Amino acid sequence: MRAEARILSFFSPALLLVLWEVLARAGLVDIRVFSSPSRILETFLPVLFSGELLYHTWVSVRRIILGFLAGAIPGVLLGLSMGLFPLVRAALEPMVAITFPIPKLAVMPMIILIFGLGEASKVFTVAIGVFYLVLINTMSGVLNIDKIYLDVAKNFGASRWNFYRTVALPGALPMIFAGLKLGMGTALILIVAAELTAAQAGLGDWIWRAYDMFDIERMFTSLIMLTVLGYLFANALDLLERWVIPWKSPHA
Amino acid sequence: MEIAARLIGAHAQARGKAKVQPNGEAIVLTGISKTFTGRSGTVVALEDINLTIQEGEFLCIVGPSGCGKTTLLRILAGLEKPTSGQVEIRVREPGKPVNSMVFQEQSIFPWYTVKENVAYGLAMRGVSRARREEIAEHYLKITGLSKFANAYPHQLSGGMKQRVSVARAFANDPSILLMDEPFGSLDEQTRVILQQELLRIWEGTRKTAVFITHSIDEALGLGDRVLVMTARPGRVKAVLEVDLPRPRDLTLIRSRPRFLELFDTIWFYLREEVMKAKASELQG
Repeated sequence: MRAEARILSFFSPALLLVLWEVLARAGLVDIRVFSSPSRILETFLPVLFSGELLYHTWVSVRRIILGFLAGAIPGVLLGLSMGLFPLVRAALEPMVAITFPIPKLAVMPMIILIFGLGEASKVFTVAIGVFYLVLINTMSGVLNIDKIYLDVAKNFGASRWNFYRTVALPGALPMIFAGLKLGMGTALILIVAAELTAAQAGLGDWIWRAYDMFDIERMFTSLIMLTVLGYLFANALDLLERWVIPWKSPHA
Repeated sequence: MEIAARLIGAHAQARGKAKVQPNGEAIVLTGISKTFTGRSGTVVALEDINLTIQEGEFLCIVGPSGCGKTTLLRILAGLEKPTSGQVEIRVREPGKPVNSMVFQEQSIFPWYTVKENVAYGLAMRGVSRARREEIAEHYLKITGLSKFANAYPHQLSGGMKQRVSVARAFANDPSILLMDEPFGSLDEQTRVILQQELLRIWEGTRKTAVFITHSIDEALGLGDRVLVMTARPGRVKAVLEVDLPRPRDLTLIRSRPRFLELFDTIWFYLREEVMKAKASELQG
């Protein structure tokens, strides 16, 4: 059963590609809009090997990583302090609650006004999206630590600092990682959106320029890279998680 | 037994002296009451508890569920403050931690390995890494956990986790051991094995111990005295001397006439309180 499932998981996307190609050749799907796998591959390989696509990918990756760090680090720090200190939570929670639901794309024009058209505005757009998700997850990670561990720390004489170090932080880590993973998904959405509007380079910009020239195959090459990026980033976070949280049960 | 005594090493040497001297009072409770105020009104959990526990004594507390046994233990542990009354704890060795608790629920840190969990109290007291390892390994050995030293709790069974919890408390080498139904959630076979192991380790150290249980068998098997608590509000109903010889074999001791006699006496006291607790439960 498990082997069958694996075979099925492998062949279903392959089958879809074959079907797409067949339908495109038979003229049943409009190749001007949907293109076909073989045409996309024909465009993809040259731009990949010329380094052109890799350059734009690198521009986006750099922005994602910088934005991710700029959002995640303050998110974790502020989330931890909001989880640990009721006064900090009372002071900041209303502002977080009010500003969190605002779609980050809605403030992009303002971000551009403040940071200009350069790198800073892209990095900041990613950062702000990551920040909220990491902050909220980190805080609830701390707040949801089982109370029994607080009693244990107290009973065994943990100092304040030792309590943060041995209970609060490790107890919140699984939720912090949940926040980081959600943040990474959002980062990919936001970077493309930010680059669509006002960029000189990057995968979003690539898509927009390809659209301008009505070059469908070129658009698809960027989508392939974004898929690869999403996969790589998710796996990198999974690896990091396994390294940082070695105690996590594989079933949990 | 001999091996265990030798392994306990440094701790046992210090204890050996204490055993020869006449035992003093370790814990004196005077007029302890505890009232909880919640949304649904106030609940009197404990009322006028007066109790003296001797140093080196193993005291078991039985009582119907909800009688405030855990609250009493938490007061002893300093995790809860009594509403009124006085807790006096006399410690012979001031350098040591006053008490360590074995909690009823799963309480070992999932993010630490078994060994790190056992060494937790020592780490919090700033014991050097080398000494910590040494002590932790010793207690892992006597609780049969050596093979699991580097395992994480999620890889252990419920019984193993409670072993870690017991080892953690003993490794901290406190003056007083507090145990809140540590084996309550375990299956019968595992429970008997762990009780026997607890006795063996305790007999090597003879620390003052307060052990909460709802099992009369367990209370008689382990304790020097058994305190029966009333239904809520918890008061002292009776205190019985368990004059059964030590070291005890928990499977053999159950067939002794004296054991059965004591069992009946405790059940006589307890039955009344259990009925009361049930009645008030039904009233809501």
